[in-house]
Amino acid sequence: MDFDYSQLKAQFQKMLVENDEPVELVRFRQESLAKLKTTQFPRITKFDFKHWPFISNHVHFFQLSSLIEHQNDKDQIEVRVDSKNIITTVPNSVKEQGIIITDLFSAIKSDPQIVKKYLSKVISPDEDFLSAYHAALINQGIFIYIPQNVELTSPIHLTVNFDQQEKMTTNFHLLIIAGKNSRFQIIDHLVSDKKQTNPLTNFTEIVAGTNSEINFSSLDHLAQSDPVYYQYRAAVKDYAKVNWSIGLMNQCDTAGEIDSELIGEGAFANSQLIALTTANQQLGINNRVTNRSPHSQGLINQRGVALGNSRLIFNGIGQIIHGAHGSTAEQQNRLLMMSPQAVGDANPILLIDENDVEAGHAASVGEINQEQLYYLLSRGIPKKQAQRMVIRGFLSAVITSISDRNIRQEMIEILERKLREND
Amino acid sequence: METLQIKNLHVVVEDEETHQQKEILKGVNLKMQTGEIHAIMGPNGTGKSTLSQTIMGHPNYHVTQGDILLDNQSILEMPVDERARKGLFLAMQYPAEIQGVTNAEFLRAAINARRPKDNQISVMEFLQELDEKLQLLDMKESMIERYLNEGFSGGEKKRNEILQLLIIKPHFAILDEIDSGLDIDALKVVSRGVNSMRSNNFGALIITHYQRLLKYIVPDTVHVMMDGRIVKNGGPELAQKLEAEGYAGLRDELGLKINLVDEDN
Repeated sequence: MDFDYSQLKAQFQKMLVENDEPVELVRFRQESLAKLKTTQFPRITKFDFKHWPFISNHVHFFQLSSLIEHQNDKDQIEVRVDSKNIITTVPNSVKEQGIIITDLFSAIKSDPQIVKKYLSKVISPDEDFLSAYHAALINQGIFIYIPQNVELTSPIHLTVNFDQQEKMTTNFHLLIIAGKNSRFQIIDHLVSDKKQTNPLTNFTEIVAGTNSEINFSSLDHLAQSDPVYYQYRAAVKDYAKVNWSIGLMNQCDTAGEIDSELIGEGAFANSQLIALTTANQQLGINNRVTNRSPHSQGLINQRGVALGNSRLIFNGIGQIIHGAHGSTAEQQNRLLMMSPQAVGDANPILLIDENDVEAGHAASVGEINQEQLYYLLSRGIPKKQAQRMVIRGFLSAVITSISDRNIRQEMIEILERKLREND
Repeated sequence: METLQIKNLHVVVEDEETHQQKEILKGVNLKMQTGEIHAIMGPNGTGKSTLSQTIMGHPNYHVTQGDILLDNQSILEMPVDERARKGLFLAMQYPAEIQGVTNAEFLRAAINARRPKDNQISVMEFLQELDEKLQLLDMKESMIERYLNEGFSGGEKKRNEILQLLIIKPHFAILDEIDSGLDIDALKVVSRGVNSMRSNNFGALIITHYQRLLKYIVPDTVHVMMDGRIVKNGGPELAQKLEAEGYAGLRDELGLKINLVDEDN
């Protein structure tokens, strides 16, 4: 990667002066930037992306968008983000419960303690080069705080359109704090169009408080020319549950991790992912669940389809730490290769350091189910359409296990959209 | 009037493990036209299913000699979906299951594949047609929103095949052991469905072991197949004779030296 630390640091200092940020945030940025000199580029087994252009030597901005708050009396909770604005629509009835849904920087401004208490506590800037870079140069973000015992009946819709015109790296940070016994759903959409060139680092941190339940979906259709790096991570406390439903229908090169840290007793995570790669696209994902406490339960279920000359790597990493007795780590990694030029690998990695556990894995890389295809063709359905249906059937094992009907439907829609674009 | 003609058809299949080719059909001749119902009977392993899959164009079956003509035009080079749109239909013995694709979506796709892009079937028209056929086949409406054949019982799968037949309205339908695994009530329902298709624009080739089905769908012509060839042709009475005397009886009568698969040597 083309990277000049002193040049970056000089720019960074200039930005610090120009942006009058709270001292807590300034320190956080400085400390994170210093980590760039000591950290290594992140690694994904069997997937090399260390030359991808995430680091921008162009001008950096600290705070891209300004906050616009709408109020309404409907049930709809909505956040829309683009390069100019962050528009939040939160009903009064929701605000009255103490819920905060706002721009990350506005949140820090009104309560600078957020930095010390929550920011990058789940994904540390120490971990690797991209985490440090992201933390130092977060330039867009959302803060969601759900107090204890609050249950949201309607989902929080979050749509982020990465349409930044100036050349830079967008470092988007979603910070979600779920109080004790809270229950809610977040439906995220990340989009960019083909004219977009900038790279993106997209980080989501979830602190799932005791006995909370969070359903997080992200249905992504990023079409920019530069790559995206993801970090989705939840710290799951006692008896809390986190369900991930991630659909990666990006056109751009994509790397990253979905990660659940089961730190509490009886914590639960279900990490569901579908991905479709086309043309010369490359996609490598570590889907990881770490059981750190007794009776915790981690499930990984991921399916991917590779078309054209694309490369698709799924690593399922199930780790059980010594002492996490009575825990479960189950995983399924399956790939469907639609073209002889496509490259795919589904790697189950089980790291078990405890005897009294249940662990299992399944992995496969296969071709299209000929009997299904033949059946559809025999009814006169044209080959391209029949193939799309068989692909959908393959991914359905994940899609149909998602409990929310709307998410299932949207998953299918973004999948169909990408398949049609690549017919 | 449309015709379907099988001329001196020789077909080999490749064994998946040994990759050795084995000839299954050894010169089949058959001619039928719309308005007619034909039945092919024969013991296990004589090539009945091979014939039906070869007509439809299954990629595992390779024609080494002979031809298949639909309206005097060879279809051997035609891909499966095109054969279907030309008017062929195969009700399968083991229909595939596809999770995530509903029966309704599948049926609409099949209908629309036969219609021009600017004249796709409307939802109302589709539902009306569907309701009518569901009633005829004693099928629940809920079947339509279920995933294609997924978790269907044997009987439900067979009914679903006939439902597709009624909706797609092909010129020629091949029904491959549509009676297997059906109880008597379901058999009557399935037969009612097929009989409702009878017209000058429709012909059927019914493949079966047993005469049972032919009581309900009375064929115009019965062909008996043994060891990859059609060895005898006749009317409906031939089916009754077979039921009484068995395939071994006919074989001996014809003086054929063939081992029947289910026969103890």
